[in-house]
Order: sequence, then C-alpha cells, then structure tokens
Amino acid sequence: MEVNLTTGMILAAGSNSALFTFCLYTLAVFGLAWLSNRLLQSKSFMSEYFLGSRSLGVWAFALTFAATSSSGGSFTGFPSKIYTHGWILALWIGSYMVVPICTMGLLGKRLNQVARISGAITVPDVIRDRFHSKYFGLLAVSLIVFFMSFNLVAQFKAGSLILQTLLTDVDMFHTVSSVLFGSLTNSGGLLDGVNPGYLLCLFTFGVAVIIYTTYGGFHAVVWTDVMQGVVMVVGVLIMLPLALYQVGKLAPSGSSGLEYTTREMAKMTPPEAGTATLRLATEQQQDLVLRDDTWIPFGSETDQQRLLRLTTSVTIAAGQTEVLNVGVLELTARGDIERKMALLTPAEIDTGIIVEDVITEPYAYGSQPDQAGAYVSGPGPSATDMNGFLPVSLAISFFFMWAISGSGQPSNMVRLMAFKDARTLRLSIFTVAMYYSAIYFPLVIIFCCARLLIPGMEAESDRIMPAMAVFLSEQAGIAWLAGLLVAAPFAAVMSTVDSFLLMISSALVRDIYQRNINPAAEEKVIKRLCYLFTLIVGTAAMIGAINPPQFLQDIIVYVGSGLAACFLAPMVYALYWPRANSQGCMAGMLGGFAAHLSLYFGGIFANGSFFRPYRIMNFDPIIFGLLVSFGTVYVVTKMTPAPPTELVRKYFCKATKKTATS
Amino acid sequence: MSKSELDPEMEYDPVFLHSRREAVVIFCLWVTALIWVVPFCYFNGYGGNVDPSSISMIMGIPTWLFWGIFMPWLAADAFTIWFCFFYMKDDELGEAHEGSDIEEELAELQAPKQSSQEGGA
Repeated sequence: MEVNLTTGMILAAGSNSALFTFCLYTLAVFGLAWLSNRLLQSKSFMSEYFLGSRSLGVWAFALTFAATSSSGGSFTGFPSKIYTHGWILALWIGSYMVVPICTMGLLGKRLNQVARISGAITVPDVIRDRFHSKYFGLLAVSLIVFFMSFNLVAQFKAGSLILQTLLTDVDMFHTVSSVLFGSLTNSGGLLDGVNPGYLLCLFTFGVAVIIYTTYGGFHAVVWTDVMQGVVMVVGVLIMLPLALYQVGKLAPSGSSGLEYTTREMAKMTPPEAGTATLRLATEQQQDLVLRDDTWIPFGSETDQQRLLRLTTSVTIAAGQTEVLNVGVLELTARGDIERKMALLTPAEIDTGIIVEDVITEPYAYGSQPDQAGAYVSGPGPSATDMNGFLPVSLAISFFFMWAISGSGQPSNMVRLMAFKDARTLRLSIFTVAMYYSAIYFPLVIIFCCARLLIPGMEAESDRIMPAMAVFLSEQAGIAWLAGLLVAAPFAAVMSTVDSFLLMISSALVRDIYQRNINPAAEEKVIKRLCYLFTLIVGTAAMIGAINPPQFLQDIIVYVGSGLAACFLAPMVYALYWPRANSQGCMAGMLGGFAAHLSLYFGGIFANGSFFRPYRIMNFDPIIFGLLVSFGTVYVVTKMTPAPPTELVRKYFCKATKKTATS
Repeated sequence: MSKSELDPEMEYDPVFLHSRREAVVIFCLWVTALIWVVPFCYFNGYGGNVDPSSISMIMGIPTWLFWGIFMPWLAADAFTIWFCFFYMKDDELGEAHEGSDIEEELAELQAPKQSSQEGGA
C-alpha cells in the first residue's frame, strides 16, 4: 500500500525523462568525440589533443570556460542549499557578479601570450619555461597530479550520485543494476557492500566520459561543454517564468508571485528532524510498505494540525501494528502545513496511521523566536551551526573563494591558453558574464519559489532540482521539458570531469614523459601515450570511486582552495613581475601549500577532523593560504638574485633596439 | 626589477603593459564589489535588521538583497560591458612557437655532448 504517491510519481516521471535524456546525451557526446578525432589527424597532435591548437573562438571558449567552472554542484548542491537556507544564498553566490571578469581577465591575455612565446601546452609547461627551471616544472606537475587525482575520484563519485539520484525511481534501472551487479556486491572483495545502483551509474557515466575524452581530446571536451552549457542556461531560463507563474497562482490578488513567496518565507520556521513511533489502528493481512516520501498528518481535532514525512522507508510486517524509531521530518511552519495538506488527496490524509512519541531536534539556528525570518535574512537557518549558515566572515571568504580562487585553478588556466586572439577573450568575458547572470540569480529565485511549491524536501534536498523540473513541466503540460531540465545536472558534472581527466593525462604525458624522460620521443609514440594515459587515469579514477572516501564535498573544497593557494600567486608574479625568479615563486607555491594544509591539519586537533579546518578569525583557510603565498614570493624574490636578463627579455620585452639595428 | 632597472636597450612589450593595467582595473572592481556587497548586506540584512512581520521588498526581492546583490550585479555587468567593448585592447598575441621549448631543451641536452666531443678532439 502506497500511502502517498504525489512526490514519488513526480520523481518517477522525471527519472524516466532523465534516463531517456542521458541516453540521448551519451550518443551526442560520442558523435562530437568522433568529429574531434578527425581534427587530430591533420594538426600538431599534442597541441591539438591538449589545447585544441589554441584556436577556440568566442562561443567555444566562453561556454567551455563557463561549463567547466560550473561543476555539478551548481545544479544539485546549489539548488539544494537555496531550498534549505533561503534568500541568503544570493549573498553566498554574490561574487559571481565579478567572477567572469576576474577569472578570465586577470590572467587571460598575458597567460595566453606567454604560452605562445614558449610553445607551452600545459600549466607546468608555462611555469617551467617562464623560469627555465626543470625543478619548478616538476613541483608544479606534482601538485597538480596530487590535487587533481583526489578531485577526479570525488567528481566521478559526484557524477554517479547525481545520475543515481535522477534514476532512483525507474524500475528498469533497479532491475538492470541488480542483475548486473547484485551478485558481485555480495561476493566479497572490492565490490562487497557497494550499492548496485551506484555501481551501474558509476560504470555508465565513467565509461562514457572516459571514451569520449580519450578518443576526442580537448576539442571533444570543448564541444561537449558547449552543448552542456547551452542545456544549462536554457533549462534555467525556462524554469524561471514557470516557477514565477506557479507561485503567482497561489498569491492573493494585488501581489506578485515572488512578493508572495518572500512574504511567506519570512513567516517560515525550519522543519525538525527526529524519530517517531507509527501505529496501525488495525492489523494488516499483508506487509505494509511506507516509502520514504510518505506524508502523515496527525494531531487531535482540538489540537493544531501537524504533518510529518518519513525520511526512511518503513515496512510494517503482516500481523504487527507498530514500528518504533522511524526517521521523520516534521513541518513546523503553519503555511507549509496548509500548502502541503492542500496537495494531499483524501486517501493520503486519512492514512489510518497513528503517530506517537515524536522526538525532534530544532535547527541550531533559525528555530528560536528571536531568529524569526531566518529564510529572508542573514546568516540564514542552519541545522548544525549555531552561528547560522553564512556568518559574515564566511561571506567574505566566499568572495575570495569564487572570484580569486577561481582565477588560480589550473583547469581554468589551461582554457585561458586555448583562445585564438585577444578579441575572442574580451567577447568571451562579456558572454560568460551574461551567462552567469542568466543562471545564478534566477536559480536563487526559482528555488525560493520551490519552498512554497514543494514543501518538506529538506529530507532529500539534493533531489530538489529534478523534483522541481518535473513539477513545473507537468504543471505546464509539457512532459518532454522535464527531460531537458533534468539533463542540466549531469551536463554540468560531465563537463567538469572531462577537463580534469585531460589535465592529469597531459601532466603525465607532456610534463613528465616528454619533458623529463624522453624529449626526443616521436609523435606516434606521444600519440599512443596520450590515448593510453587518458584511458588509464580515467579507469583508475573510476575504480577509486567504487569505494571513494566519505567526504566528497569536503575533498572538492579542499582541492579547489589548495590549488589556488599553490598556483595563483606564482602565476600572477610570473606574468606581471619581471623581477620574479624561480626561487621566490617556488617558495610561494610551497608556502601556500603548507599554510593551507597546516590549517586543515590544525582542524584535526581543534575540531576533530581534517575536513573541518582550523579557521583563523572564522575565515576560510584559502585566505590565509593566499596571503602566505603572495607574501612569500615577494620576500624570497627580494632576498635572492634577479632572474637572467634573457628570460626577462624573452617574456617581457618587445624586439629590442639592439636586435632591430643588428 | 622596476622599469629603470631594465637594460636601457630593452622596452616593455605593450601586451604586457596593457594586460597589467587591465588586471589592476579588474582587481579594483573586485575590491569595490567586496567593499559594497558584504558590508551593505551585513548592516541591512543580518539579525535584527530585517523585520519578518513586514518584510521590505522591491519586485519581490528583499530590499537588502535588491541593493546589496541584485543592483550591484547589474552594475558589474554594465562595467563588464564597458570593459570588454571600450577599454580592453585587442593586442596581437603573436604566433605560437609550438615545440620550441622541446627543441630548446634538446639543444641544451646536446650542447654538453658536443662540447665534450670537441674538447676531446
């Protein structure tokens, strides 16, 4: 017996669309990989495979940059955060107003020029050539491989989880996964205890990404990014008016949908998670299965109406009448309860289930009367943190994190080496600025509206994107739209994974093999190694993701900020300070790495976990890492000899008078 | 190494000078955005500064976010348009010297061998 079908049916319909879309997507990316491979036949292989022959035009460059930067988190984690914490996410993401111009404009033109002067194909190449230092190049490549390997595994896991989330209500998906992997996951060894559904998603997602990246190289990655970037923005731009229209239908006359949404959010209090006892009035003849999205109204007639949903599936066996300690989430806001009750059918309201012994925990911030309006003010509600979701020190940290740390990501730097001319760069900055404006603030509006349209999704907030996509397209009567909308999350994660994969294989083939082991290697050897290493790295990451480390999101945050702490300062000085030398920049790279890492190690002693770093004055470790890195480069450079004149001349000067006259 | 420290025979590449000037302008934009956005939101949108019983809004957006994020976002977009279409220079980035770094290294590797052979002869 299914007590409540509404959310389940919505998600099931979405998952069918997701399955269809995923298949269509996979076919499209294979087509693009095949086209890209044809380009590899006719051009300088290494430059084409890893850098697209430095020929990217405006649309390709802008969309690959935008899509790579918007990882899967933009379409799963971010909507989930908006739904859970409310309007404060507009401040959390606020620095995206300057992210395009910062991440592309601060280094772009100069980095592209320096890479052309030396013929550099990778970021370690640029560093090695700019300072003419083999050891600096090796340090850079070691750090990239160290950080990126962790990140690649984490991103593979993220992609698989997103796909699993989207497909979880498709019956065929469960059948296929249990047939293919059911026995393997119970037979001991590497696969023992792993969810068969997760494995199926991992292998499907992983094999698709590895094949098209290996076969097509950089151009395949860029073209799929373009396709994925278009899907993302179109999805958001369709959802925005649909969401506003739906909340508009709830609003009283004279009030717009968004005004009504904000006013209702101001009255909201956070739901409370906990446990309860469920009891049946009469014994059932057969097992009663209650899904984890089942809603159960309760409370006496004289009392106020109360409403909770299950957070785990429950089976009440035939002959039994009660089950203890069931995970539940109880709505506490009167408006939420009324809106949800209005969506339930009479059969769903009259469940025949009696709820007793409800024990719930209020949010650490947002539940107290003096914290009223937490969803429309700072620091935003938080289930675990007494300081709220976004204390002001963290808001400042995020301004550094997105705009400044984004500039220091090697995956972004590689793209900055691939555009064809300065005109392309400035038109792309404009395009990405418009692109982000069209995505991020509208996402905040859409998922604030979701709080009214689909109450109680806190229990599975990672699924709010597909749930909202299907809800809106069903309400609009356009079924195919759901497929397009749910495609956005895996489009985003695919475009991030493929570029990371290519970065690691370029580090191994170009920076380690060709530059340190065999500079005289023939092109056909290099070509085979490129294919081989991309395949091996991808496969290794996929195997690593079978039993990945627990702290997925924490690893992604650690790697992102760690890379910026290592690479930003040396790169800025290398490009803009003629006096910069290899000693200073190497010291800055190591200093940033050590400072950042030490705060994470400090977290073990201060907070009991590596992934809960020690925060000086409550600021994120990235700020300390960047300060140490920038400071160290300057001090050590001043203390050590100036760089050779020929290097300064090569990278900072135009044709000399001497040369011109000679 | 300041400009005066450069060899008088050398002149800075205009692409370097333009890029550096553009980077400084962009950094100033980031600082301006930070200085406006975070303090404005903190003093107008945090804690007791928002009255939930009569929330102040513009176009459905809480007023503190409208002036703290939404309008600055539009202003940043306007600045970006100005920067991209009226300020940033279309510099010539030069031809890519594909493979020149590898050739240089191969030459360096062979140089000691040659000199030792010459010395031996």
